[in-house]
Amino acid sequence: MSAAVQTLDISPVGRVEGDLDVRVDIQDGVVVNAWTSAELFRGFEIILRDKDPQAGLVVTPRACGICGASHLTCAAWALDTAWKTTVPRNAILARNLGQIVESIQSLPRHHYGLFMIDYTNKNYSNSAYYEEAVKRWSPFTGTNYEIGVTISGRPVEIYALLGGQWPHSSYMVPGGVMCAPTLTDVTRAWSILEHFRRNWMEPIWLGCTLERYEEIRSYDDLMAWLDERPEHANSDLGLFWRMSLDIGLDKYGRGHDRYVSWGYLPHEDRYNKPTIESRNASLIMKSGVYNGTTDTHKLMDQSFTREDVGRAWYDEPGHLHPFERTTKAIQKNEVDHEGRYSWSVAVTHDQDGRLEAGPLSRQLIAGGRHGESWQHYDPLVLDIYKKLGGASVMLRHFARMHEGVKLYREAERILREFRLKDSWYEKPTEKDGRGWGRPRRFAGPCATGSRCRTARSRTIRSSRRRPGMSARARTMVPAARSRRP
Amino acid sequence: MANLLWLQGGACSGNTMSFLNAEEPSACDLVTDFGINVLWHPSLGMELGENLQKMMKALVSGEIPLDIFVFEGSVVNAPGGTGEWNRFAGRPMKDWVADLAKVSNFVVAIGDCATWGGIPATAPNPSDSVGLQFLKRAHGGALGAGYRSKAGLPVINVPGCPAHPDWITQIVVAVATGRAGDLSLDEFQRPKTFFTSFTQTGCTRNMHFAYKVSATEFGQRKGCLFYDLGCRGPMTHSPCNRILWNRQSSKTRAGMPCMGCTEPEFPFFDLAPGTVFKTQTVMGVPKDMPTGVDKTGYIKLTAAAKAASPAWAEEEIFVV
Ligand code: SF4
Ligand code: SF4
Repeated sequence: MSAAVQTLDISPVGRVEGDLDVRVDIQDGVVVNAWTSAELFRGFEIILRDKDPQAGLVVTPRACGICGASHLTCAAWALDTAWKTTVPRNAILARNLGQIVESIQSLPRHHYGLFMIDYTNKNYSNSAYYEEAVKRWSPFTGTNYEIGVTISGRPVEIYALLGGQWPHSSYMVPGGVMCAPTLTDVTRAWSILEHFRRNWMEPIWLGCTLERYEEIRSYDDLMAWLDERPEHANSDLGLFWRMSLDIGLDKYGRGHDRYVSWGYLPHEDRYNKPTIESRNASLIMKSGVYNGTTDTHKLMDQSFTREDVGRAWYDEPGHLHPFERTTKAIQKNEVDHEGRYSWSVAVTHDQDGRLEAGPLSRQLIAGGRHGESWQHYDPLVLDIYKKLGGASVMLRHFARMHEGVKLYREAERILREFRLKDSWYEKPTEKDGRGWGRPRRFAGPCATGSRCRTARSRTIRSSRRRPGMSARARTMVPAARSRRP
Repeated sequence: MANLLWLQGGACSGNTMSFLNAEEPSACDLVTDFGINVLWHPSLGMELGENLQKMMKALVSGEIPLDIFVFEGSVVNAPGGTGEWNRFAGRPMKDWVADLAKVSNFVVAIGDCATWGGIPATAPNPSDSVGLQFLKRAHGGALGAGYRSKAGLPVINVPGCPAHPDWITQIVVAVATGRAGDLSLDEFQRPKTFFTSFTQTGCTRNMHFAYKVSATEFGQRKGCLFYDLGCRGPMTHSPCNRILWNRQSSKTRAGMPCMGCTEPEFPFFDLAPGTVFKTQTVMGVPKDMPTGVDKTGYIKLTAAAKAASPAWAEEEIFVV
């Protein structure tokens, strides 16, 4: 006979901005059911209605200050597709660079500020690694916490060179970018990247050079790397991995084995005349849907997107494509766990239902052989996923951090590819139209993994979609709730 | 030791992210060097659920003294004045704000949403958002025009979308270390030390402004952004070209027009069609003049500037 179900209401769940609540049903120490309630509505879609088309460049980045560059990119590409612009190759590179440095910034910020601090919780004091974790990762005072949080401000200095400031610049505009960097900007950007690599990525996070790390292509390679030298085992990556296994974070956060990525980073020579239809084949990081049960990859297309508003506080029919949404907020937003309980809507795939998005998904899709032959391919995370028998809190965090080295290399490549004397902007003709872009939610806690202390959850992911994102700026995130099948 | 609590209402976390970019002092320095005890922060705090609710109640009852209450984001009043569209720790955030403001020594509003309502309060203001003590230029806001914290000060407004990290940390350190008396606030309760000079002060395009040479399109390596692209640098109070962003640059240096984000009207013209990144003019003359300049003076100045303009001013000046 199984134990009774105990229900726990947690308000707030921090680390995701403070206005997220969670209800969980616990049975035999395992979360069997969970509901997440996003408790803030600002109505950005409503604010944007009847405004200047370029208002999206000002408003959508403010949907989220953690991943504002993603929203800005999305708004700019959406206008580009609507106005049928031409985007100079320099501008594509400059937009990608902005998005990349925002994500690289978010790695140490998320790792130390939001994630590793849970490893210092006294619930883990039995772990052999606990003492070291407290020393390194205690909030504000931990040795690596302080280094990591402080250095996290550096990559976005590159953003400032392009857009004047981070967060909240609107330098990406239809037809290109506002800036025209000079040689001094490029040189500075380069040296900032180097500083970040030499002072954090290599000595603290990896304990080896980027080159050595890049040789890791399989789970066996990773295990061999871990044992190869004490510097590897004692790096933040090494300690994270060993302690995660020790406290069992490879066992939690399974998810349901189906993943999506829209793809990201348009190629500078292939998306100069952007259209919604030509996007998939123009991306460096390919899109896709991965089914872990059948081990199959396919491409993702925006036309499959649906928003199920049935459990959210909107008075609209369910199962709508984002283009059809009207954002009609219900006046009385009572929490009814059998009915409506959140401002977040559940984004689904028309045929495949609920899918998980985020860093793990992106890496699982990077391991597919689908897409164009020249697109990025990386087998590592998919191999670990298979060897460890699926997803976990540990693998999600690893996947996020693993992406960092690749993004770093892409940033280096962009700095080499800029042709400083060529144009950065081609003035478009404004017209009516419908466009689509995709905020690639590189950054921040929106796509964060674990709540390991409330833990034992196979299902909770703090996958909060910000209510109030532009109608043309919707993203697909895993369902923000999980209900009995 | 000064106890600091940081909460977010109708916010995007942008000010928090900006705060984490701080260098002198850094976010960690506040704790380690300046004796600030961060009781809780929405992104960085350890506690959750019941534990946090307990702490919040202890703050409201005075059991735990609250020295500095930092608020980021707008105060949401929808629907119908209940504030239920933004709940936190089991009740409307606006009720927590009202209770905490009563027991705080200092209240610091960080960013436009907390100061004037910001982007959420842009027409039609669906969430019925206000700032702590203002809605745009109107005095009042969530706490009322007469509000004073326990130390006798109104809300200290640090506007900006987001606020610059230095503006945040320097004000927090000033009040935590007993220097509140050195703060002078302007009529919008902004610290004068930051918000008396203009964005234009220190802009690298100032020579182009003087000679009326315009950047007519984005992506140009010369020209002032005032004449065609809607720059608000001459009428916006901010030190953006004096205290650079991310230690590197500013919007106008990088080629982006200042949007006037430290002023209560941001976003200007409510983002109506035709107003974004385009200078609003009447018969060729900008509608909004540089602060203190009248139309006649402006026209005279323009004629003189154009006549005096040297040839180099028309050439690319930020050369590769
Ligand atoms: S670009 Fe803007 S801030 Fe700079 S000089 Fe021109 S008007 Fe002033
Ligand atoms: S330059 Fe203008 S818009 Fe940009 S941060 Fe400064 S005041 Fe705000």
